[in-house]
Amino acid sequence: MKSIWKSLFLIISVTLSMVAKAQEEQPMLGQMAPSFTLKAIDGKIYLLEQFRGKYVVVHFAATWCPFCNAEAPYLQELYKSYRDKGVAVLIVDVKEDKGLVEKSIARFNFSFPVLLDEEGTVSTKYAPAGVQPDLARHEVPLASNLIIDKEGKIRFYSLLNTIAFDAKLTKLKEKLDSLLSSK
Amino acid sequence: MMKWAIIIIPVSLLMGNRQWMTVDVLKITVPEVVVSAGKSSVIKVEVEIMKGYHIQANKVNDDLLIPTSLEFTEDKNITIGMQEFPSAKNFKLEGTDNFLDVYDGVFEIRIPFKTIAKIPKGKYILDAKLHYQACNNKTCLFPKSIGFSISIKII
Repeated sequence: MKSIWKSLFLIISVTLSMVAKAQEEQPMLGQMAPSFTLKAIDGKIYLLEQFRGKYVVVHFAATWCPFCNAEAPYLQELYKSYRDKGVAVLIVDVKEDKGLVEKSIARFNFSFPVLLDEEGTVSTKYAPAGVQPDLARHEVPLASNLIIDKEGKIRFYSLLNTIAFDAKLTKLKEKLDSLLSSK
Repeated sequence: MMKWAIIIIPVSLLMGNRQWMTVDVLKITVPEVVVSAGKSSVIKVEVEIMKGYHIQANKVNDDLLIPTSLEFTEDKNITIGMQEFPSAKNFKLEGTDNFLDVYDGVFEIRIPFKTIAKIPKGKYILDAKLHYQACNNKTCLFPKSIGFSISIKII
């Protein structure tokens, strides 16, 4: 009887540690960031490829998303601190009307491009396979942040539903600093 | 009258390709209301939210958020009063100092109504929709609407 309990305890411990490890791991690291071409709120067209040679911070957002709104002022702050260090910042707004997005921009005074992913196709491309299979694919990256390196590879991906929420972007900035210092 | 809206069956199981249906987190129950012609009564819409989730309240403290709201078809024989939503609960957004006004667990929306004196006896169905936006402490779901029926029996 004792050995059954021991085995059960071992199985549970291993399972829990595997779950914890999976939660710490970021998806899609080292992969080429899926290409996209999107219209910004100001009407300009942006291609991801035009940012080659820079680090690009991408945040997937929606105006009604409380996590995104909590992070918004810190994202603008990050842009101001890093724009002269070869870092671009982009928001990809997922499946919303331009009018709503303009309301959000007016509040947060974003001075970087806010792109409209009206059909959710770009967001879908960034949904890692197997993560949150019960959600529609375009929903998965919402409120997440990525760093895409100068060659277009994903170097950081804080998928919100697998990690603790980091509104102040502390981890992202640590990673950005480490990438910038190693160039 | 009851409607479960928890749909987590991957379409791939049904269709063999890799698409997924969206998860919803609500169960709505509306008991039939029995009332005499010319009298008043109250429709009680019970909303049960899946454990771990919450939805934004009817009055939100941030105008970018999507409040929970209810709409339904009108009937010329029934005058609908002001919808009564419960008080919101405070929810602290993880990793921030922000608090949200939300509903979780089970709550009730009350809708007072009055029938006209000459309303014919029988059953009246009002089609209703609840609009809401749900989150848990890790993620948010896209705004959704769930349709259901309200049955009023005139005796």
